[in-house]
Amino acid sequence: MVFNTGAALLDAIVLAVVSRDKEGTYGYKITQDVRKAIEVSESTLYPVLRRLQKEDCLEVYDRQFDGRNRRYYKVTEKGTAQLRLYETEWKNYSSRINGLFEGGEFA
Amino acid sequence: MNRIEFMTELAALLQDVPEEERRDAMQFYNDYFDDAGEDKEGEVISELESPKKVAQKIKADLLGQQAERVYTETGCQDSRTDEKNMPAKREKPAKNQEYQYGGDMDNEEKQKPWSNNILKVILIIAIILVGAPIIIPCAVAIVLVVLACVVSLFAFFFAIVIGFAAIAIAGVVLVCAGIFTVIPEVAVGLALIGTGLILGVIGAIGTVAGVKLCIVVIPGICRGIVWIFSRPFHRRVVA
Repeated sequence: MVFNTGAALLDAIVLAVVSRDKEGTYGYKITQDVRKAIEVSESTLYPVLRRLQKEDCLEVYDRQFDGRNRRYYKVTEKGTAQLRLYETEWKNYSSRINGLFEGGEFA
Repeated sequence: MNRIEFMTELAALLQDVPEEERRDAMQFYNDYFDDAGEDKEGEVISELESPKKVAQKIKADLLGQQAERVYTETGCQDSRTDEKNMPAKREKPAKNQEYQYGGDMDNEEKQKPWSNNILKVILIIAIILVGAPIIIPCAVAIVLVVLACVVSLFAFFFAIVIGFAAIAIAGVVLVCAGIFTVIPEVAVGLALIGTGLILGVIGAIGTVAGVKLCIVVIPGICRGIVWIFSRPFHRRVVA
């Protein structure tokens, strides 16, 4: 990919991926889903998840699966609000860029 | 490298992060391997590259949190610090906002290291000027105190050995004295020989034990001293 993904965009993508599962989802699946959308190394995702967790955008809980504890991530209310914000920001941003590319309305 | 080696190395590399962080990260990657399945173990390891890289990213992020991520885009930084100001700010012309932001960044980046360096140099000079008459004698005193402690430690263990050796010698002397007294006074002579034998044995055991103790303790002390003296240097490297 030509464009690199900044920290904010990565946060937004992770929040979007996690929020698709109402019940919450787990680290491996999050990583796979994010990697379907953007190129990012596997070791990048954990720090993002951990940070979002500390910022109360994500909450974690452990659930039994296959005879072991698996950690699940779930978007909190704050996380949802943050995601809405990112979405609006992204719409503004991308429409400005699109406008520029397609005809220069905003230039 | 297999999964167990990977996790062990990661745990070792995360020794210097807070316990809670380490445990959380270990749990995450443990889950990760579990969920990827045994047949994808190699794939996961090659994707993660190395425990060193994983640990580096974790630590970099922990550091980044302390220093607030300045490098992020305006919108997101605002949203982090004060979400409510966000919409109002957005109403400003987009161009201005970005220009302002760019300007601030430049100033911060240029000024901060510069003033820091000057400040450091001034501080160092001040410390040397003001502190030298106090620091040098203090340093000498500290070195001497440490030296004295070391010498007395060695002396202490040496004294144990010598003490027991003396007891052993006293025992031997008593036995000899006893043998001579047996002829005129049997009871006293036997008592002396008995006491002498007991002392001799205690002395011998004590001497051997003391020497062994020294063999164990003295290298330990030496290592301790080396460690104490190397600590300030290590710290400076880290800082």
